[in-house]
Amino acid sequence: MAAKIRQPGWYRALAFSILGVLVCLGLSTGLRAAFSVDPVYDGTSVLQISLLMVPLFFLGGIGCFDYWLRWASGRTVVDDHADHGAKSWRDYFKVNTDHKVIGIQYICVSFFFMFIGGLMAMLVRAELASPGRQFVDPNTYNGVFSIHATLLIFLFVIPVFAGIANYVLPLMIGAPDMAFPRLNALSFWMLPVAGTMMLLSFLAPGGSFAAGWTAYAPLSVDAPIGQAFFTIAVQFAGASSIATALNFLVTIITMRAPGMTFFRMPLLVWANFSTSLLVVIATPFIAASQFMVLLDRALGFNFFNPANGGDILMYQHVFWFYSHPAVYIMLLPGFGIISEVLATRARKPVFGYRMMAFSLLAIVLLGFTVWAHHMFVSGMSDWIRIPMMITTAIIAIPTGIKIFSWVATLWRGVIKMDTPMLWAVGFISMFTLGGISGVMLAMVPLDIHVSDTYFIVAHIHYVLFGGSMFTIMAGIYFWFPKMTGRMYNERLGKIHFWLTFVFFNVTFAPMHLIGVQGMPRRVSDYADQFATWNMIISISSFILGFASLIFLYNMIVSWRSGPKAGSNPWNSLTIEWQVSSPPPIFNFDSIPSVVGGPYEYGVPGAVHAILDQPAETPVAAGVGAASEEN
Amino acid sequence: MEAASIPTPAAHEDHHHGPPTANQSSRVNSEVLGILLFIISEIMLFGAFFAAYFFIRVVNSDAWPPGDGLPVAVAAINAAILLSSSVTMHWTDVSAKRGNDMAMRVGIVTTFLLGCTFLFIQINEYLHLGFTPETSASASVFFGLTGLHGAHVVIGLLLLWMSAVRIFKGKVGPNNHRGLEVPGIYWHFVDAMWIVVFTTIYVL
Amino acid sequence: MTGQSHRGAVTAKNWIALLAIIVVASAIGIAFMLALNWFPEQGSNVAPMIDTFWDVLVIVSVPIFVAVTTMLLFSVWRWRQKPGEEDLDGPPIHGSTKLEVIWTIIPTIVIAALTTYAAILLVDIQAAPAKGTRVVNVNGVQFAWDFETETPAGPVKSGRLYLPINEPVKFNVRSKDVIHDFWVPAFRLKVDAVPGITTTYNLTPTKLGTFDVVCAELCGLGHAYMRQTVTVLTAERYATVMAGLARASGAKPPAGGAAADVAGEKLFVSGNPATGATACGACHALKAAGTTAATGPNLDEMLTKDDAAAIMEMIVDPNKEIVPGYSKGIMPANYATTLTKAELAALVKYIDQSVHGKG
Ligand code: HEA
Ligand code: HEA
Ligand code: HEC
Ligand code: CUA
Ligand SMILES: [Cu+2]
Repeated sequence: MAAKIRQPGWYRALAFSILGVLVCLGLSTGLRAAFSVDPVYDGTSVLQISLLMVPLFFLGGIGCFDYWLRWASGRTVVDDHADHGAKSWRDYFKVNTDHKVIGIQYICVSFFFMFIGGLMAMLVRAELASPGRQFVDPNTYNGVFSIHATLLIFLFVIPVFAGIANYVLPLMIGAPDMAFPRLNALSFWMLPVAGTMMLLSFLAPGGSFAAGWTAYAPLSVDAPIGQAFFTIAVQFAGASSIATALNFLVTIITMRAPGMTFFRMPLLVWANFSTSLLVVIATPFIAASQFMVLLDRALGFNFFNPANGGDILMYQHVFWFYSHPAVYIMLLPGFGIISEVLATRARKPVFGYRMMAFSLLAIVLLGFTVWAHHMFVSGMSDWIRIPMMITTAIIAIPTGIKIFSWVATLWRGVIKMDTPMLWAVGFISMFTLGGISGVMLAMVPLDIHVSDTYFIVAHIHYVLFGGSMFTIMAGIYFWFPKMTGRMYNERLGKIHFWLTFVFFNVTFAPMHLIGVQGMPRRVSDYADQFATWNMIISISSFILGFASLIFLYNMIVSWRSGPKAGSNPWNSLTIEWQVSSPPPIFNFDSIPSVVGGPYEYGVPGAVHAILDQPAETPVAAGVGAASEEN
Repeated sequence: MEAASIPTPAAHEDHHHGPPTANQSSRVNSEVLGILLFIISEIMLFGAFFAAYFFIRVVNSDAWPPGDGLPVAVAAINAAILLSSSVTMHWTDVSAKRGNDMAMRVGIVTTFLLGCTFLFIQINEYLHLGFTPETSASASVFFGLTGLHGAHVVIGLLLLWMSAVRIFKGKVGPNNHRGLEVPGIYWHFVDAMWIVVFTTIYVL
Repeated sequence: MTGQSHRGAVTAKNWIALLAIIVVASAIGIAFMLALNWFPEQGSNVAPMIDTFWDVLVIVSVPIFVAVTTMLLFSVWRWRQKPGEEDLDGPPIHGSTKLEVIWTIIPTIVIAALTTYAAILLVDIQAAPAKGTRVVNVNGVQFAWDFETETPAGPVKSGRLYLPINEPVKFNVRSKDVIHDFWVPAFRLKVDAVPGITTTYNLTPTKLGTFDVVCAELCGLGHAYMRQTVTVLTAERYATVMAGLARASGAKPPAGGAAADVAGEKLFVSGNPATGATACGACHALKAAGTTAATGPNLDEMLTKDDAAAIMEMIVDPNKEIVPGYSKGIMPANYATTLTKAELAALVKYIDQSVHGKG
């Protein structure tokens, strides 16, 4: 037992967490005693300190810091790759430095939270099925949709993209791993911490956080302690995505295979490059907004207290300066996935490759100039509205370039409409619809009427479900054979798509209508005139939820017993498909060299990369040469 | 933080073959690039607090400075202390690359002590200001910005401490100085940030 | 891997058919969208402007969506992989500068046109009110609005908003606690009520009748029930109503009597914002007061067997007994401090009389 507790792992994590709680208890009471605050024991204060500190103890216990601490204390560290790669399913529950293991860990954990978040959506719809009160009281309702959105945004869409990219990106650029494998592991382990914290808020006295995923001050400042769970969990989720983004950027810049110039990178790599720039620059803003709320809540600061000179709109500016870019953080990696799927399954080069790359960068740049379109009715100075309307609408142009180029990629291709492709094509159509409703929202006079109504809820889901979720599905089906070495069931995949596609539209399209007619969002009860539509929406949403169970079944059963997939079932040119499925533990025996573009389909004899697979020799002598020049 | 994070071919265990050496596709060292990108993030974090400062002082015209006057002289001395610690940090770094062991040790200890002095003076200043964050929004901004910076000094000091430990254990030298260089870059950033914070809070 | 020829490029006939489909489908789409009954009734001078703008947006948007989707479906239908084509690749077309320029410029023009229209419209909507505009102070508190109409004789308070038809009105919107949002769907305008600042908009009501006032910003557990009404009256009716309200809010409530009922109703509908007493009507339905909220139990139904003393106890200590199906801690427990003894007495008397049909 004692030996087990000294080893990194769950026992030690548990022991450390308990220790952490005790330390926080001591810290809180100690400080209060020192400053003679009465009473010495204050549960709220202990809880708040624990929320901040115990996760760190847990991460230490599970083993995220062992290597660094050994290094920092000046001991000799050898990297024997003991924590690299998975030999059994148990290894997926340990700290691992293999980008492929981390990728799978990311994907599974984010889908876990997707199903919980989806279940919350089912509760929302059950409550809204008819006017009046069905299942939950208004406060619980507010908590349910807040957790729904928070989980799906911070613990599903953002990390699942990081997971997919974690798995395929190093392979795609011909790198043996990410630049900082241990940081990579730490990024992952912060996620379950953040997600668990958000769910635990249900148990907090006074209920879970219930101020929406936007957590506007001063509502979030005055709210019961449950709100602190959000405030602090977001810090961990944010730190996780910043660390991953740093890792992607450094990996892409410094670890590309010889010959892999920027304009030979697959567009998925470009997409993650752009996303990571957004994350590194924008995410600190949400961290700051939540720090300020925390300071106001816990230490009596006055950032958002107008009686003492505080400024309430400042919260929204700081929050949206992150959260608007965040919507592109939730979509650009998906754009990358779509480019991969379309080129491979339509057997054609991506149309206008360079413009595709530049439009990503244009979206990144423009994304920082539009935040106040969420504040058109917030009472901010009027003169900001028109410039923000214009910059917002301009984003339609680079996005349009992408949409049109995808359509042109399909044009005259040899199109195989299998599951990943269905999702990809469905995405283009549904996202165009969601994007157009976005442009309508950008038009201030209309937004003044529809802001904070179900029209917004419809927009959100067309871009996040019809957009992000569809790309995620395309990506999961597309790389499933690579990740598991097995093929999913095509028929179930198609049923999943069609059920989702139809009932997604039945669920969310009518929301445009009831929104414009005057149904506000974030309400547990509504005027009787909207009853019929809401009933239809709720029923349809349950079928939508059911469809996701088909997906779950397909994934689990195929992973365990699907037919073996070859190394390259899609006959793709990019590097990840040239290695076995799943790839060898260190990806390559020797680093491949890249000799052409990634999508040269139809060019006779075209090759993207040359991989030699020397049978046994571990280190190929010639390959290091290229790197020694630098 | 060390070059070991890009594993070198497994020289140790013969039966299990390690990863191939990654191609170095950029002249920039990955650790240095990593810390620079991290510093961009940090600048944005400060940026958000400066936004708060802007909204509360300029947009909302809350009375500035909070309390009756800020101790500019003390803060200026503090700025000088922090700046000189940047100089000693640089000296440490240069000595490490040159292999001057003695200078490196003196350098890191001096830098660390200068950092501690800064922190000590800062905390002392807090206790004698005559206002607290609860006084007003301006006071909150004051504590927010200087406190955020103070927290960075603490992190910087932790990194310096680690570097010092490694230096005294003989782990840092001309061929192995990344572990010192990277904390050094961070320390310079913390110092430079103080100049910005100092200027906006105390001078303007 | 080549051998493309038999798959053929797009013929002129294809192009004509495609164009025809796009035009027809867009026309149908636009017709359908315009036929739908999108908006609530038009209650202000602004409403027709917004509704027309919506029509324009629909006419512009539908063809974009239809064009993209049609091209997608056409490609998928026309170039679907057929048996025997498993090893075939498409033609290696890498791009076309001409096309890329076209599909950058066209959206740019669309965007430029729409934003110009929107900007002009926005300026029109916000046009400064004519001199002598009526000013109404709208105050949000959790979870009710109270309205204060400025008149030469001083402000007139009410829990229900009254406006005269065809007369410009300016709203000064404020909040006492958290952010709310003052929205009248029939008027089409909304603005947040932000603590610490005053936000405004102005419009002219153009239709007689009673319309919903909705809080459109999440403000806490009662947010869904923060719904009241605005009644637009003819000038004459308006004058009478305002005179009545002025009398009610000016009069000092003597103990008992008719005035106490008025004070009781006012407390029920609007609470006492000055002390933070939340309006009962924000959560409870009471026929006599015209409130329909459903956060708390319907008082007409629940209180039939309770006498005044019991009602008093329920208000002062709501958590002592919880009505089945509701949870503890929703009804504010602070009425004993936010309302004076006299106010409580008036309130209880009012509720007692309303429920039991006395007086
Ligand atoms: C993945 C997430 C995502 C994405 C990609 C977008 C994309 C866009 N969004 Fe959306 N948005 C959200 C997620 C997203 N949004 C969320 C979650 C909220 C609510 C937050 C909350 O309050 O909770 C929100 C809210 C929101 C608002 C605030 C509404 C309000 O609260 O009052 C606005 C206003 O301008 C807006 C606009 C836009 C625009 C213009 C785009 C553009 O980027 C869209 C560009 C794409 C296209 C236009 C389609 C393709 C283009 C063509 C085919 C070319 C031709 C087209 C034209 C000429 C029109 N969004
Ligand atoms: C990626 C983001 C994402 C995704 C995928 C979804 C998915 C869904 N969302 Fe969500 N939603 C948001 C992001 C997202 N949403 C955001 C940001 C908000 C704004 C919140 C705010 O105002 O703060 C919001 C708000 C929101 C509202 C408005 C709440 C309100 O304002 O009061 C509604 C209402 O219908 C809703 C419904 C749904 C539904 C039915 C789904 C469905 O698509 C879900 C389908 C998936 C599943 C159901 C999977 C789980 C299935 C099971 C566990 C099996 C059990 C199933 C059965 C019971 C049959 N969402
Ligand atoms: C935020 C919502 C809210 C407000 C405001 C509110 N109530 Fe309630 N009220 C409730 C809820 C929920 C219950 C049921 C739970 C309980 O018994 O406490 C309730 C219960 C009651 C009951 C008990 C009913 C019974 O049959 O036992 C009475 C009487 C009552 N309220 C009167 C009032 C009065 C009078 C006011 C205003 C001075 C008021 N309420 C304000 C939510 C509210
Ligand atoms: Cu008031 Cu919502
Ligand atoms: Cu946005």
